[in-house]
Amino acid sequence: MKYELVCGLETHVELSTKTKIFCGCRSHFGSEPNTNCCPICIGLPGTLPKLNKEVVRYAIMAGLATHCEINLISKMDRKNYVYPDLPKAYQISQYDLPLCKNGYVELESGKKIRINRIHIEEDAGKLVHKGQDVLIDYNRGGVPLIEIVTHPDISSSDEAKEYIEKLQSIMRYIDVSDCKMQEGSMRCDVNISVRHEGETKLGVRTEIKNMNSITFITKAIDYETERQIDAIQSGGEIYQETLRYSEETNSTESMRNKENANDYRYFGEPDLITIKTNKEDLEKYKTQLPEFADGRCKRYVNDYDISKSDAKLLVKYKKVSDFFEKSIKGIDKPKTVSNLILGVIFRYIENESDKQEFNIKVLPEDLNKLVLLMQENKININLAKKALGQMMETGKKVSEVIPDDYLQEISGEEIKEICKKVIKSNDSAVKDYLSGKDKALKFLLGQVMKETKGKADAKFIEKILAGEIKNA
Amino acid sequence: MVDRKAIMNIAKLFMDESETDDVTEQMDNIIQFANEIQNVDVKGSDFDNINGLVNVLRSDEVTNSVDRELILKNANDTKDGYFCIKKSK
Repeated sequence: MKYELVCGLETHVELSTKTKIFCGCRSHFGSEPNTNCCPICIGLPGTLPKLNKEVVRYAIMAGLATHCEINLISKMDRKNYVYPDLPKAYQISQYDLPLCKNGYVELESGKKIRINRIHIEEDAGKLVHKGQDVLIDYNRGGVPLIEIVTHPDISSSDEAKEYIEKLQSIMRYIDVSDCKMQEGSMRCDVNISVRHEGETKLGVRTEIKNMNSITFITKAIDYETERQIDAIQSGGEIYQETLRYSEETNSTESMRNKENANDYRYFGEPDLITIKTNKEDLEKYKTQLPEFADGRCKRYVNDYDISKSDAKLLVKYKKVSDFFEKSIKGIDKPKTVSNLILGVIFRYIENESDKQEFNIKVLPEDLNKLVLLMQENKININLAKKALGQMMETGKKVSEVIPDDYLQEISGEEIKEICKKVIKSNDSAVKDYLSGKDKALKFLLGQVMKETKGKADAKFIEKILAGEIKNA
Repeated sequence: MVDRKAIMNIAKLFMDESETDDVTEQMDNIIQFANEIQNVDVKGSDFDNINGLVNVLRSDEVTNSVDRELILKNANDTKDGYFCIKKSK
């Protein structure tokens, strides 16, 4: 009997607002411990939280970007639990009236992973375990989060991976979060159950908490799926429990079971009041949504004749895609621009996060100028590549890396003359060519390129050379 | 009857056996009173928004945080700028 995986994800995304959700402390990552704190975010009695306007806007943007309905009336609630990372012993979150609900993220196959809800809440502090000590840093306490909860629509670890990557891309395109999993600004809780294929009832689920790497999420899903199937097949039972995934052993272990599951005693947060969104604002936000990666990718393939794999690379990083779009103004073949970005510029950028930032010395206008020179046949592709490399290294402008005499036009007549000259002085190569050695033509081409300082187009030269040799 | 041990654990109450019967009775009374309150008919009342205000929001502007020394001042134990507690066994 075959089993199938039923998986849902809860994703926490840290919003990149300047300040925390309920106070004006900086929400910056990597500060000295407990230096971005105040009486509000360390939960001193008698303090009053006040909601950050941008948090509401960011969350609504996230909702619109994932096709959610927006609750025009929304409110905050208290979620009670006792743990040292939570100084108030409750987290201010949302319970029955989240800001967004009923959305979806569409996978490449066309399958929609439905989003149940998106709500806003405060992050907890960070615990550092050192020997017998637990050290607490409340800098992260009060940093704004959105929690994006899917329906159990995911049926493989590959789908989970694709969903998370799509979500990352969407959040980055609307610029509400950098979604850096390694820094914890995006974290996932994974809910997993299995059932016989074709069965409609859900099995008992386990939850793996706090995963911050896509690789480990897929490994954990595969491991836990196998574990559950094995347990059922050997006559055992699955218990509803919370699990921790161990990266060292690639296995899951129990953190707590249902018997001592948390009862959060949710109730409306009395210190904060109703959040009301009006339809005019929603319409305004909708117009601020950018064209997303999927749309751009399709357009690059259809309109610009760029291969799908290249288009995907371009749109993977919004700043690269923006750069590309600015660079192609007035260019007949945007594909050339794409090739230069992926083939030359990317060689100078080593890691993913630098590609994400795309802080480079070359401006889109510079690349545009360079490609326009190619388009006007003033320089060829080899020279363009060399020049672009220099520009990336030194930050020099086009006019500084391509000397003036290159930019003077070289006419067809001039090229013809040079070809004639080269044919005259390379007898043996011409003989070789005539006796059927095609390679000899490449040698002659190289000589002409040298003479023209790479200004002429190789195909054009080959045509002239072949013609001249025949006529000679 | 309330689960005495569970409540003492949650509320961090420490007392010896001789006191606990009295306290249990008091707690039972409190819970009974709370149950009575729950029977009050509150249909049509909006307790989440009793003053009718909406959208009291602040703009996303940084205000000064408090010196770490002050933040840590009331902590039982600190280490390297962190609050410090012992791992429970």
